[in-house]
Amino acid sequence: MFQDPIMHQPSGAAHQPAGHAGPDLDLIFDLAPLSVLILSPAWRIRRASSRFLSVWRVAAEDCLGQELLPFLERKFQPPRPAHLAHLTSIIDDAIASRAERTTHPINASAAVSWKIRVIPVFNRDELVSLVLEWHDGPRSTLPEIDQKEELVKPGLSTDEAFRILVQAVKDYAIFLLDTKGHIVTWNTGAELLKGYKREDIIGKHFSVFYGKEDLDIKKPQMELEICMREGRVEDEGWRYRKDGSRFWANVVITAVYKDGVHVGFGKVTRDLTERKSAESRLIAAYEESEKLKSDFLANMSHEIRTPMHGMLSACTLLLDTPLSARQRDIVNIMDESGQVLLQVINDILDYSKLASGSFTINSDIVGITSIVTSVVRGVQTSLPPSVHFELFLAPELPRSVQGDPLRYRQILQNIVGNAAKFTDKGSIRVRASVQSEDDVSYLVLTEVTDTGIGVPESAQASLFTPFMQFDTTTTKQYKGTGLGLSIAKSLTELMGGRIGYRPNPDRHGSVFWFTARFKKIKTLEQMANWKNTSTAARSERQSTPALDSEVEELQKELRIVSSIKNLLVVEDNLINQKVILGMLRSLGFRNVGLASNGLEAVRMVRGKPAAYDAVLMDVSMPVMDGQQATKEIRAGGVLVPIIAMTAYALKGDRERCLEYGMNDYIAKPVDKKRLISVLGKWLLRTTDYRKNYEQRLAEFRRQNPVLVPATPGDEAKQFLFDVTNGAGTQSAEEPKSEPSPLRAADGAVAGGLSSQVANPAAESVEDSQTMPTGTAATEGPNRTGDRGQQIEEPTYDLKTPEFKTSEITLPLPVLESNPQAGAVEEAKDFTDIASDGPRPPTDGRAEESSRHTKAPELTQDLPAETSSQQAGTVGEANGNCNLASAEPRLPIDERVEEPNCDIKTAEMTQDLPPVTSKQQASPVQEAKEKPDTAAAGPPPALVQCSVQPSDSLGKNTASQSVDVLEQPSLFPE
Amino acid sequence: MRGIDDRSLRQDEQEIDDMPEFGDDVDNELFSQILEMDESEEDRDFSAPLVLNFFEQAEETFAKMQEALNAKNLESLSSLGHFLKGSSATLGFNKIRDGCQIIQQYGHQLNVDGTPETDPAVCLKRIAEALSTVQADTAKLEKVMKKFFSQTE
Repeated sequence: MFQDPIMHQPSGAAHQPAGHAGPDLDLIFDLAPLSVLILSPAWRIRRASSRFLSVWRVAAEDCLGQELLPFLERKFQPPRPAHLAHLTSIIDDAIASRAERTTHPINASAAVSWKIRVIPVFNRDELVSLVLEWHDGPRSTLPEIDQKEELVKPGLSTDEAFRILVQAVKDYAIFLLDTKGHIVTWNTGAELLKGYKREDIIGKHFSVFYGKEDLDIKKPQMELEICMREGRVEDEGWRYRKDGSRFWANVVITAVYKDGVHVGFGKVTRDLTERKSAESRLIAAYEESEKLKSDFLANMSHEIRTPMHGMLSACTLLLDTPLSARQRDIVNIMDESGQVLLQVINDILDYSKLASGSFTINSDIVGITSIVTSVVRGVQTSLPPSVHFELFLAPELPRSVQGDPLRYRQILQNIVGNAAKFTDKGSIRVRASVQSEDDVSYLVLTEVTDTGIGVPESAQASLFTPFMQFDTTTTKQYKGTGLGLSIAKSLTELMGGRIGYRPNPDRHGSVFWFTARFKKIKTLEQMANWKNTSTAARSERQSTPALDSEVEELQKELRIVSSIKNLLVVEDNLINQKVILGMLRSLGFRNVGLASNGLEAVRMVRGKPAAYDAVLMDVSMPVMDGQQATKEIRAGGVLVPIIAMTAYALKGDRERCLEYGMNDYIAKPVDKKRLISVLGKWLLRTTDYRKNYEQRLAEFRRQNPVLVPATPGDEAKQFLFDVTNGAGTQSAEEPKSEPSPLRAADGAVAGGLSSQVANPAAESVEDSQTMPTGTAATEGPNRTGDRGQQIEEPTYDLKTPEFKTSEITLPLPVLESNPQAGAVEEAKDFTDIASDGPRPPTDGRAEESSRHTKAPELTQDLPAETSSQQAGTVGEANGNCNLASAEPRLPIDERVEEPNCDIKTAEMTQDLPPVTSKQQASPVQEAKEKPDTAAAGPPPALVQCSVQPSDSLGKNTASQSVDVLEQPSLFPE
Repeated sequence: MRGIDDRSLRQDEQEIDDMPEFGDDVDNELFSQILEMDESEEDRDFSAPLVLNFFEQAEETFAKMQEALNAKNLESLSSLGHFLKGSSATLGFNKIRDGCQIIQQYGHQLNVDGTPETDPAVCLKRIAEALSTVQADTAKLEKVMKKFFSQTE
């Protein structure tokens, strides 16, 4: 209908005056407020309305004749191929369908968007033109997608897509609530999850899904309120299905707004039942495994440690037998490795307990000074002579406090042990002081300063980290788990303290310090409670099956002999007399003498020196107390076992009793089991004090064709007990393997130690400083002492008790035939047996000197044992104290008094040291005892000497103490 | 003995049903050891006179304590305290034992926690208090014990 010529004069046409012949269609076209493009069938622009030109800001000549798509492509800023493609497809569609079509909004630029109405114009079947009307459209959302426009499939609107999506989701219940909470929509997921059909539920309130408890607390309403306030609420809990079954649901409710008006809530519910049950299974499994783990640990600590102790004890026993040097080396390696392994095991067990938080701190009485000194004493034995110990105990340190003595000891042991391990020469200084104090507690600071290898700066930060060892070299000069310090750290924290490290400010080396808080002991109740718990602990220990059966066994044995044994009970309190008599009677004792004070007891015992098999002695009595009485009895040369009974259940009491020459100790009130075990020990397991040496030896040989003093199991038990009880300060209370003369001699050493109550470590310190063999020597008796019965095996050990060598060897009076011939004879006998060859006693001197030189190297042969005994040493030292009393003192003193005896002793000492120690006692003792047993005529000199000892004892001790005092540098504070 | 079992004093029923319970005032383990020394449970010819003796002894001791208290003799009080502490401990009479401990401590011019108490007047006052408490405790226990032994006979 339009003519090409006209079409080609658009501008002219636009200005044609009105009233031109015919309807001025061009004018109308131009003036119409429409943006219109008229295209040829080949999509070339034929005509554009004025409006189009002005809006698109193009001149007519720039536009007419152009192909549509390239033209638009140039005009679109930025280029939008997707939009063009859309337009293209709409035009095609319009042509194909011969109907008008409208595009989605198409953005021509950032600010402008169009909806384009495409009108194909057909003349019959022939397309003659395309009219494109451009309408202002809203800014399109779709076109922003640009290249991703393919997402929108033909025929699927966005809304529809979302609707389908929501509807099709099966795993989530997704639905809308109105503002009141009534259900408006329902999807497949909701239907599946909740069991309601769409038609059942629409219009119902969503609280139908909730259980009674939730409804009672108005949870649905609350959720909507919270949701209104915060925009969203999430909850987990039980929800109910149509059929009443429930599921664990995660629910998210979102407030839905349209144009700023609240229109309802969107609710999404997930079924977490599976996850929930998986979780609870997981938790159950975790709890189970935790339980298994702690059970495992509990069992393991027992199951591993027991055989370990057995092995170690067996090793120690093996070391006590005659071995070749090579065998000894090997056994030492076994022993040492075993000790290391045991330490590793203990560390790991402790560490796991600490890590799991199942470690508890006990409350008991703590004697800080005694723990520190005993730890120092224990470690000291393992030190080379080039290292000396200095111990500072601040004067303000409380005597006893409340806390966990074992843990305190463990920490200190670890740190001091480390110091010893890493220090080859110089000193290790242990200092304990009160850092601060308040009404109820002390904060005790303990510092250990060494001159060892120190800690490299790089390792300082990780010192207290588990499994950290700064010696990571392949040679691994220092053994251990690397757990020690981290355990110590945890322990100090449990004890309300801290632990730390700094380099030794004076020279190379380390300072490790830790603090621990201890409660003050305030009230009697506290004391009483403590006493009760310690009593409980004791009876607990004694009621363990093994010990019980031991006690039963002992009781049976006692019954056999009790009727022929004579006892003396010394007790002032009538009630206590009756009870102890009653107990003894119930054990079958028929001959029990009674003394109601010490003086009476002394008279009775000295009047019949061989009458009693044992004396049970109260300590605190009128007229004369038990300690004085014991002293007097010993002064009379009677070696009857004296067992103290005292109400002071404090540690240290026992040592004091033993110091006075008592042999053992029972706490009052007397517990029957304890009484049985003590009596068993002294009446059954100890060679009768009245027998002379030959009788003893013969008896021993008869009874012990093979050396099985105590089974490894027993040893292990003892060892275990010692270790777990902080080196066994109570070991003496346990049924021990049989004591013996050697133990007694050991006791002399120990007795010397304990006599210096003020500074228990002094002597040891002195030893290590002044005598090269000191450490080995002090250690020797301790450990041999623990193997009670072996001592009678003449060649079993080579160690020399240190105290004699220097003292005795100097003056050697010529041996002549003299009144002590008997003693000499006996000594010789023994020597013969011991050395497997006869040796005239007079040769003693010559051989002696050569042996002297040997002594040190002999002791050096056995360095490993020292460390192997660390844990037990302290306890043993205490244990030995027990035995210190009766037999040993006398002989030692007599040695001083009687040069002739000394020669004997000295000679034998050189020969077979450990035996010696027993020996030292024996000849003299026998000689002395002979009068008692009426076996032979008493040599006058010996009689004399037996009267003397208490004096010389005094002197001896005094002089030792003086020695200590003369070492000011050791204890500057 | 059964009679005691029926008493409200009994705290729990353990397997030791032939063992009377005297509550916390008595160490039952120790006391049962005393009872075990009787040859027959019907005729407690060891423990009955023993316990009786104890109460006599206690009474005498209390009298002596009172005298010492009047005479302000701390030393004597201390040793009397120690003395009775010994026998009460032996029988497991813990409460009496603890009272005696207090008397002994103050007799030594020490507080119960071991710190010194220098003022003798304070010590005497504390002892007087402790003495009346321990006498009351003893009287109470004596009743219980007498009932116990009378039932066994």
